[in-house]
Formats: sequence, C-alpha cells, structure tokens
Amino acid sequence: MRFIKRLLAVVLLVGVAWICTSTVDAATAPKQTNPGFAFPTENITIEVWWHEYGPFTAYVKELIEAYKKLHPNVTVNATIASSTDMNQKLTVALASGTGPDIMDADASYYVAYYAKGILEPANLGVFGVKSYPELDARYVSGGLASGTFDGKIYTLPYQGNSMSLFINNKLFAAAGLDPKKDAPKTWKDLMALGPKLRKVDGKRTVQKAFEFPYHSPRWQLQDLQPMTEQFGGKILSADGKTAYLNSPETLKALTLWRDVTKACGDPKNTKSTASNPNQDFLDGFTAMWITGPWATPQVLASPIKNDFTVVGLPQVNPAKPHTMVYGWAWGVNKNKPEKSKIVAWDFVRFMLAKPDEWLAKAGFVQPVKGVSETEVAKKFPFFNVHMKDVQTATWYIRSENVNEIAQAVGRAVDSVVYDDADPKTALDAAQAAVEKILKK
Amino acid sequence: MSASGSTQSRSLRKLFGLSISEKQALFAYAIILPTLAIIVIFRFLPMLQAFYISLHEYDLIRPPTFIWFRNFIDLVQDPLFLQSARVSAIYVVFSCVPVWVLSLALAALFNREIRAKNFFRSASFMPVVMPAVVNAVVWTFMYHQDGVVNTILAWFGIDPIPWLRSSKWALWAVILIGIWRATPYYMVIFLAGLQAIPQRYYEAAQIDGASSWNQFRHITLPLLKPTTLLVMVMSVIVAMKVFAVPLIMTGGGPADATRVLPLFIYQTAFEFFKMGRAAAMSVFLFAAVMIFTIFQIRLFSRGED
Amino acid sequence: MMRGSSRYRQMCVTYPLLVLISLIGLLPFYWMVACSFKTNENMFLMPLQWFPHPINWHAYGDAWKAQDFTRYFLNTTFIAVAITFGNLLLGSLAGYSLSKFRYFGRGVLFLLILSTMMLPLEVTMVPLFLIVKKFGWPNTYEGLIVPFVVDGFGVFLMRQYLKGIPNELIEAARIDGASELRIYWQIVMPLCKPALAALGVFTFREAWDMYIWPLIIVTKDSLRTLPLGISLFMSNFGTSWDQLMAVAAIGTLPMVLLFFFLQRSFIQGIAISGLKE
Repeated sequence: MRFIKRLLAVVLLVGVAWICTSTVDAATAPKQTNPGFAFPTENITIEVWWHEYGPFTAYVKELIEAYKKLHPNVTVNATIASSTDMNQKLTVALASGTGPDIMDADASYYVAYYAKGILEPANLGVFGVKSYPELDARYVSGGLASGTFDGKIYTLPYQGNSMSLFINNKLFAAAGLDPKKDAPKTWKDLMALGPKLRKVDGKRTVQKAFEFPYHSPRWQLQDLQPMTEQFGGKILSADGKTAYLNSPETLKALTLWRDVTKACGDPKNTKSTASNPNQDFLDGFTAMWITGPWATPQVLASPIKNDFTVVGLPQVNPAKPHTMVYGWAWGVNKNKPEKSKIVAWDFVRFMLAKPDEWLAKAGFVQPVKGVSETEVAKKFPFFNVHMKDVQTATWYIRSENVNEIAQAVGRAVDSVVYDDADPKTALDAAQAAVEKILKK
Repeated sequence: MSASGSTQSRSLRKLFGLSISEKQALFAYAIILPTLAIIVIFRFLPMLQAFYISLHEYDLIRPPTFIWFRNFIDLVQDPLFLQSARVSAIYVVFSCVPVWVLSLALAALFNREIRAKNFFRSASFMPVVMPAVVNAVVWTFMYHQDGVVNTILAWFGIDPIPWLRSSKWALWAVILIGIWRATPYYMVIFLAGLQAIPQRYYEAAQIDGASSWNQFRHITLPLLKPTTLLVMVMSVIVAMKVFAVPLIMTGGGPADATRVLPLFIYQTAFEFFKMGRAAAMSVFLFAAVMIFTIFQIRLFSRGED
Repeated sequence: MMRGSSRYRQMCVTYPLLVLISLIGLLPFYWMVACSFKTNENMFLMPLQWFPHPINWHAYGDAWKAQDFTRYFLNTTFIAVAITFGNLLLGSLAGYSLSKFRYFGRGVLFLLILSTMMLPLEVTMVPLFLIVKKFGWPNTYEGLIVPFVVDGFGVFLMRQYLKGIPNELIEAARIDGASELRIYWQIVMPLCKPALAALGVFTFREAWDMYIWPLIIVTKDSLRTLPLGISLFMSNFGTSWDQLMAVAAIGTLPMVLLFFFLQRSFIQGIAISGLKE
C-alpha cells in the first residue's frame, strides 16, 4: 500500500512537471464541443437536478445560460432541492421511471446507483478521448476513483474536498498563541492546546478549543476514517464486503476522539446544524474546526474575514499522513433517449470545463490536473494546504450501504461521547450491525 | 304527532316508489361517494400496495423480489427497530395522555364566564398556528444551551440542560413540543363539545343539589363521549406519525434517542434503499394504531345509542 | 348565580392561570418575532436579550429577496385554501352520512376511511406517486391538491361532532317536508360551525405544512410551496439567524390571519336554540 502511494506521488509529480512545461490549453478540457462527434441538431430538453448551495446554484445557473447561447436547440431545465431532500426526491423519481438526465449526488451514493444499473458511462466522443484511462489521466491520480466502476468512468466530480484544520487567528492570539508556530501537527499537539483555548464560565462553555462534528453521522465517519487509517487500519475493505469497525485501529481512533473531545470541546453546546455545519467556527465559538475548502467563502463572509489559517489535518504520525477526500459528482441517467444522453454528457463536460471558475465562484476544488497553477488557485487562501491534503487522501468509503454504515458509526460515536459508553462495546455493536447489513 | 302528520308522511313514502329509509340510504350513499372515491384511489390503494411491498425486498430502483415474511421476522429481531418502536411508544404515551387531561381541563376553564375571553383563548391557541417546519426551527433555537428554556429554568435555580445534545433529554424536549402544540387544538375540540351540552341539564342538576364534581362526572363526561373518543384516537394517530420535528431538530439522535418510527421508516426507505423493510415497519405501526382505535371505539360505543 | 366567595376564588386562581397559559402559548411565537429583529451578534447574548436592541430592520427584506417567496406564498395559499375547502365540504358530507343514517356497510366504510390515516405518507408515497403519474398530474396543482382534498381526519371529526347533535331537529325538518339536501345545508351545517372552524384551522395548517409530497411531485420552481422554500433557504450558505427567523415568521402569518378570521366561529358558543320541548 505504501509503495503504491509513493508510486502515485511520483506519477503525480511527473504529471505536474509535464503540465507546467506544456501549453495552457492542453491542461484544461476543451471549451468548445469536440468536432469528433455529432452534436444533435433537433430540439432537446434535458433536466438537471442539484442540491442547493448558494454560490454553487448561482454558478450552475450561469452555466446553463451560457450553454443555451452555445446550443440554442437545447433547453436545460433545472430543479434544486436541499441536500437532505435531494436524495429522497431522486430516489422516488427513479423508482417511478421519471428522474433527471443529469443528477448530482455525493460520490459514495453512486455505488448504489451503479449497482442498480441507472448510470450511463461517460461518452468518450464528447470528451475527445479514445479510452477511459485517457480521460482518467486528465485528473489527479485517484481523482476519479470514486466514479469508476469496472474500468469505466460513470461520474465526474465537481468537487473533491479534503478536510483540513481551520484556525481562528484572533482566538489564538488572545490565548497567546501564534498560528504559524503553534498550529498543531499531531492530535497530541491539539489536545495540549485544549486548556489554553477552552474557556468556561461556571457551568457554561464560552469558547471551545476544538470540536468534532455531531450534526450528521456522515461527517463523523468522514473524520473517523482518516483517524483510523492514521493508526494503520481501515473502515471498509476495498470491495466493500468487509467492515473493520471493531478493529484495534478503529478502537484507538474512537478512543482518541473521546480524549480530544474531553480536552478541547463541549458537544452538548453548539449552534451548528446539518444545514450550517460550520456555524460554531464562523461564530468564533470554537477556535479550531475541521472542514473543507468550500467553507472558505463562508469564513471570508463571516466576522472572521481573512483572519484565519488552514493547516493540514492533524496526524498520529506526521511522517505518514492520512487524510480523507469526499466529493459530489455529476452522473447521467441511463434510462433516457440516446441523443439526450449525448447532450447530457456534453453539458457535464461544459460545466466542468473551467476548474478555476469553480474555485473562484463556489470554493469547490475539482481533483483535476492543472488547478493548482491557475491564478485563482494562487489567490485562494491556503490552497496549497488543501491540495496537499487531497494528495495524501483516500476517498470516503464506497458502498451501497454507506448510509447505514455511517449511521452505525455515528451511533457508536454518540454513545461514547454523550453516554460515556465504553468505546470497545460501542464499536462491537456497530460492527455487528454492519456485518448484518453487509451479509444481505 | 297528529293524525294528519302521519297521513302526510305516508304519501311521502309512496313518492318514487321507495320507502323513506331507502331514500335516505340512497342520499347517504350519494353524499359519501366523492369522499370514498378519492380516499380509495389516493389513500387506500397505495396503502394496499404498501402492504404488498412489505412482502418484498425492494430498493426502489431494481424490480422487487418476493421474500414472504422475512422482513417481519428480521424486524422483530432487529435492535434498531425495537429501539425505534420503544421511542415511539414513549413519545405517544407521554405526549397524548397529558394532552387529554390538559385539554379537557383547559376547555372546562374556558367554558366559564371570563372577562377578556377572546384574548385568552386566542393567546392559548397560538401553538396551533405555527407550521411544523417553523416550529422545529424556533424550538431548536429555544432549546439551545443559552436559550430561552434554560434561561427560564435558571430563574428557578435549575442548571442548564443540554436538551438536544443529550440522549437522556432529547426525547423529552420533543415530547414537550408535542404537548405544547396539541393541547390547545384538542382544547378547542373539547370546548366545542362542551358547548353542545345544553345548559339546562346543569341547571336541573344544580336545583337537585349536585356538586360541580358530580355534575362533571354524570353530565359532562358521558355527553362528551363522542368528543373524547375523537380526541383520544386523533391524538394517538397524529403522535404516531410525528416526523418533521425530530427530523429537523435532531435527525433522530443523539444515539437514536429521538428516532421515532416514522423517521426510521423514512430513513430505511430513502437512505438505506430498503423500501420493503420500511413498508413492513409501517405494517407494525398500522397494526398498533388500528388495534388501539378499534378498542377505543368499542369502549365508547357501549354508551352510545 | 355566582356567590361572592367563588368569584373571589375565580379571580385568584382562574385569571393567573389564564395568564400563565397565554404566556406559554405565546412564548415561542414572541421569540421568533423578537429574534427576527435582532442583529446577529446579539442573537446568543448572555444574559438573554428579551427585547431586541438595537433593532435590525433588514432581516425581512433580505430574506424575502433571497428567493421567489412571493410565488411560494401564493402557491401554498392557493393549495391550502383548495384543500381546506374540499375537506370542509366533502368531510362534512361524509361525516353526516356516517353519523345520521343507517345503511348497509356503514361501519366498514367508516373503518376503511379511518384506516387510511394510520400509515405514514413516507410509505404510501411511492405507490401514490405512480397513481398520480397515471393521471398525468406530476408538476401540476391537481397533483398537489386532489389526493388530499379530503382526509379521514375531517370525516372522523365531523362524524363525531354530528353524533352529538340531537336527531329530533332533523326528524322535525323531514316531517316538515324539507329535502335531505336542504336539511344538510340549512339545518345541520349551521349547527356545526365550531367543528367546521376547528377542522378548517387544522386542515389549513396541515395543508400549509405539506412538505414531502410537494417535494417529490414538483420539479418546477414556479410550483414550489413555502415549506420547501424555507427548507431551501435554510440550506443556503450565508443564512443568518435573523433572516431565518424572519422567514419563519412570514411562514406563520397566514395561519395567524386565518385564525383571527375564524376566531369568532369557534370561540363563540353555539346555542341549540332550535330545540323546544
């Protein structure tokens, strides 16, 4: 495993070097339709569904307008729903044979959709490539891993988010700390900062040093996964058939979670919700918080403005970093007319064509080659930190049962943190539950 | 009834060749027909289909596979389902029984001669007016560590309670909202029922020297039976289906403390892609409510004419 | 008829109790409105700020502009009024039929209607969607209204209430030669005002609140209902608490207005003056 990672890192370096020495055009996907395939001339209407997120919605609407100008015979209908609702809406639509041409879902959901046979593989002609590996080569290594099944590419991510540590500079300074020197590199460092940054007034917590997420089990697994891998373990096997929730490494990770929380946080006291997961950090209620680059526009718009620092995810062993990347991706519905599918893939290509715009307008990092070199990336706060965490990352677990697994993990975490349950017992229960699920 | 009256009704009877009771029955069928049509098509048929799905494994996208009663067998052994059923049961009992008592008491209170009646009745009815989504959002706000509820508790010297972030308290937070929201509504229903009781019954009882408690027991309660049945059955049905508040406020957590059955059903269907299982859970839910309802109806109809 | 001591008792016990109950009922409502006028910095001030100071006048305007709330508002109003109307009419007809007439299958029909209330919508949603699709009603007002235009709750409530109305009134009208329809419309319905008002408020609220059904049946933004708009608003980055409370307050307004209109009907009692023995 370590060897492969080193090999990939080398390939990545070579790739980046190659890009830097080639012309700009070659690094980004073609902006005009590839003349190598026939674009339908009749009137076609396609439906795109995506989950609501202010800057993202605004940008996609812009793209729809632009595409209409480019292809007046194509009408793109948009449907937007909140991310919690989108899944239900999509599922019912697919169940009744309706549903969009282009769907937007978290990368881990696509395993289920692929298994149920509703995804259309990427149209090679649209992308001007002759094979799937050729398309894959345009992305950073592993960038398309979550959307590749049986060697074919089925989804393309419009964001690949690493999770890194955000630090509130003002709160650090107030505690006599310097974000440049005192930012934690390991979990032990983080815990040591607990007493300095956590402020209590009687029975009320007035400020937290650091908090893990509790507003959704999915976020909890997103943090627990890299921690487990940092101890040398994993959550799920690559084929998704075996879970390791009560392995010694996962146990160490959960115990660490508990100890960090005791030292730094106060889970009973929070303003963060599923729709505003970063709220505590934005309000200055917690000095440190783990989130992705997409949160940057939010932070800039909050009272913190640009008085913040981002460092890599804390590690157990900084020499062997393990981080996590997750993302949302576009997929195309198989049960639509052929011409609609061509247009759908072309629109997806069109949408993803300018990664620097995605970064500038929505704070979304596409795991595609060449992003780091764009002007926008250079101006994006701490872009290099985010990119570094992407490079050492494994994707969020991939499984048809990802939601159930996340819920089992969330249950274990909640019971340890809220009910003082014994981590081993909690994880044994989670493992038993997940084994039952995976057996089916 | 005078003799001329019965002659009149006999001639009416001969009208259209149908007896009066038949004509009335026809009318009764006619006026219930539209309702029946809509309910059968849009509620009953889907319900039957849901029962049918419960015998299958269905992930909403691939065609269903018939698996007999395996869903049901799995469920009774599933600790998560049992936990969810437990949570729902606690929620129903503790949000319905207090509501029955409180709403009747309040209705009796409001039935008296009071000045500024309109203001008081309007003010106490306000909980009904808030839509569910708004309700969940505002109460989440109020249950915050430094929020309104804890501030009020502090006036009585009680330490702040981590309402939504404690597996011990979260369900009670949701139950409190349930009681707050339901009481005024059923109070109004009881009030309507109370006001339908003719005043002269009470006057007659008072002349006979009956105490207010006896009047309540022997006049009010019996005559309120239809209303009481309505309140009891409705409140249980509504409580069994409560969904928006736990979903928005806690998502079922922490540690499954507020994962009521409808929420678990929803997650099983749409997050775990197990529609068959979800349908099977609904069958259990349905059976529980049905048994309760039939039992209540039997209990109450003993006294009806 | 009241003796002096009981009036005194009333003053000491009843009125404070009423005040307390009113406060409990009003508190979240007040809090929502108060917070919508607070600035974000003061939202979580400790000790709690009961009255906003300084007053923030922007929240309502900002929130309303963020999305097409006017459209959602109108949609939801239209749908809620239609569903309420349907329920009042069809529910009372059905309740009347089930309570004041005897005919074959009456008990079974009642149980059938009652049973449809017991399954949560989440489970019947997929089959219902397929049926609605057959009618061609996805993304239409019909699809949003017709499946809910009458509900077991309305039937049940009217049946129970009508059971409490003496049969003599109806019999007397029949003897007088009135047609069944006239009896229903001119004698029975006026007596049901409190129940109709109560049903109207409840149905309107449930229709206003409808979330899951509009979510899956509507893809056009122009048909979106207000609860969906609020949910969308909540998941929008940059939502500040004051705006969220403002949106919540706006979402409550129609219910409040409806309530004030109907207040008279069910707060005033009915006098069964028609009965003369």
